[in-house]
Amino acid sequence: MLEVSFIDYGIIITYFALLFIIGYFVKRKIHGLNDYFLAGRRLTLPIFVATLVSTWYGGLLGVGELSFSYGFVNWIINGFFWYLVYLFFAFFLANRIRRTKLYTIPDQLERFYDKKSRFLGAIFNFIMVSPAPYILSLGIIFNFLFGLELWITILIVAFVMIFYTIRGGFVGVVYTDIIQFILMMIGVAILIPIAVQTYGGFDFLTNALSNPNLALGYIDTTQHLTLTGTQTTQWILIWGFIAFWTLADPGFYQRCYAAKDDKIPKRGILASIGFWLLFDICTTFTGIYAVAASQAGLLEVESALTSYLSIAGALLPVGLLGLFLTGLIATVMSTADSFTFLGAMNISHDLYKNIFKKDATEKQVIRATKIGIIITVGFAIVLSLYFTSIVDMWYYIGTVGISAMIVPILFGFFYKKRLSPLAGITSMIAGSTTSLIWIAHGYANAVFGWPVYIGGVEPLYPGLLASLLVFVIVNTIHVRRMK
Amino acid sequence: MDPAFLLVLDAIALIVATLTLTYFFIRDILKTKSKK
Repeated sequence: MLEVSFIDYGIIITYFALLFIIGYFVKRKIHGLNDYFLAGRRLTLPIFVATLVSTWYGGLLGVGELSFSYGFVNWIINGFFWYLVYLFFAFFLANRIRRTKLYTIPDQLERFYDKKSRFLGAIFNFIMVSPAPYILSLGIIFNFLFGLELWITILIVAFVMIFYTIRGGFVGVVYTDIIQFILMMIGVAILIPIAVQTYGGFDFLTNALSNPNLALGYIDTTQHLTLTGTQTTQWILIWGFIAFWTLADPGFYQRCYAAKDDKIPKRGILASIGFWLLFDICTTFTGIYAVAASQAGLLEVESALTSYLSIAGALLPVGLLGLFLTGLIATVMSTADSFTFLGAMNISHDLYKNIFKKDATEKQVIRATKIGIIITVGFAIVLSLYFTSIVDMWYYIGTVGISAMIVPILFGFFYKKRLSPLAGITSMIAGSTTSLIWIAHGYANAVFGWPVYIGGVEPLYPGLLASLLVFVIVNTIHVRRMK
Repeated sequence: MDPAFLLVLDAIALIVATLTLTYFFIRDILKTKSKK
């Protein structure tokens, strides 16, 4: 447990009170379904940037774990590759998505293919946006801060989030994102200058990291400042593929739909890349400073996962520690709430309104969304109590979701000729099933609990390949028959 | 020059950029209110 003064606790409690207040008052801004789902499609550029940056960045503890364990290569796998995909999204997709004036990714799938693709897409989307990893992260942070049982902290966090998302809908999410954006940026930025002043500059890092003893008994730090660290090219490239998640990320789409005009999405994503770049450098070097200080015997770290909490506890004075911790919580919270709302929209808009009850009124859809919020959070609580590793959860959700969605979405946007509805649905099934079977086979042959994949190939590759092959074959044959 | 100087500069740039964006939020929110 971290030693935190009552002033720091006060800052954290004030933050939660603020979320409650926003949730309470923002309801006045809801005048219909368009407001509840997309804040009336009125997001201006600064608000677009704040909500995109804060929602997208949720795994701060995981990033801490990676930069502590692997060093600068964290910036390559969690920064550089992603910037390339964001640039692609900004230049080729963002404004196109805005112009369709739809609500969700399954809406696009129905536009490209048919209702069945919408249905299956909604289910994959629902799994992809499960807030489970983030609810678990918050549970771990509160457990570390307050020493409460994990399940109690998970329930408290879930209650606060349900309150303001149910009341305020997307407006509530966006308004709280603004506060969370400011807190997460400043909270993370304050630690670096203090670390440099306390421990020293690059000479300190180079000397401390060249210590041949393994940090925490298993981490070799001698290559932490090199571009690739001790990692193989294949390991690094897998992360490059994971960055393709962006192209099927419901949060990106939702914000593009909600932008005030057609130009904002592209400009907003480009501005967001600037913030992510500055932010990622801070987070990577915070992890590197933590491991270096630990190697120099200046810092006691319990585990790589909680390294940020340890370095913040050691360096930051009262007040600033509270600000940092609130920033950390805000980073995770902003993602958890957005994902919860997206999951609820899959239930109410994609399934209830567009498949099961087409004549549903706006009021009924809003009510279904509120029920959807509770279902999404309930499902996430169950998942987070049974899965204990955040990274595992991300990995499997991501692999199956990307394998299913990327190919039909990209063909939908970029293939100019006729598309077969059958190709859309079969490629989704083929991609997800292949990656699931690959994962199951890996676990069936696990060594010491670690999955061993065929030929050492990670499940994302065969999943994407199967999806692509099935799409091309079925589309070619079926389109011919349709003629 | 110690490269750590660039790190500190990065952190300061992040704070300045965040405060600038905060100014624009407030301006946007006030603008919406005054229109009403």
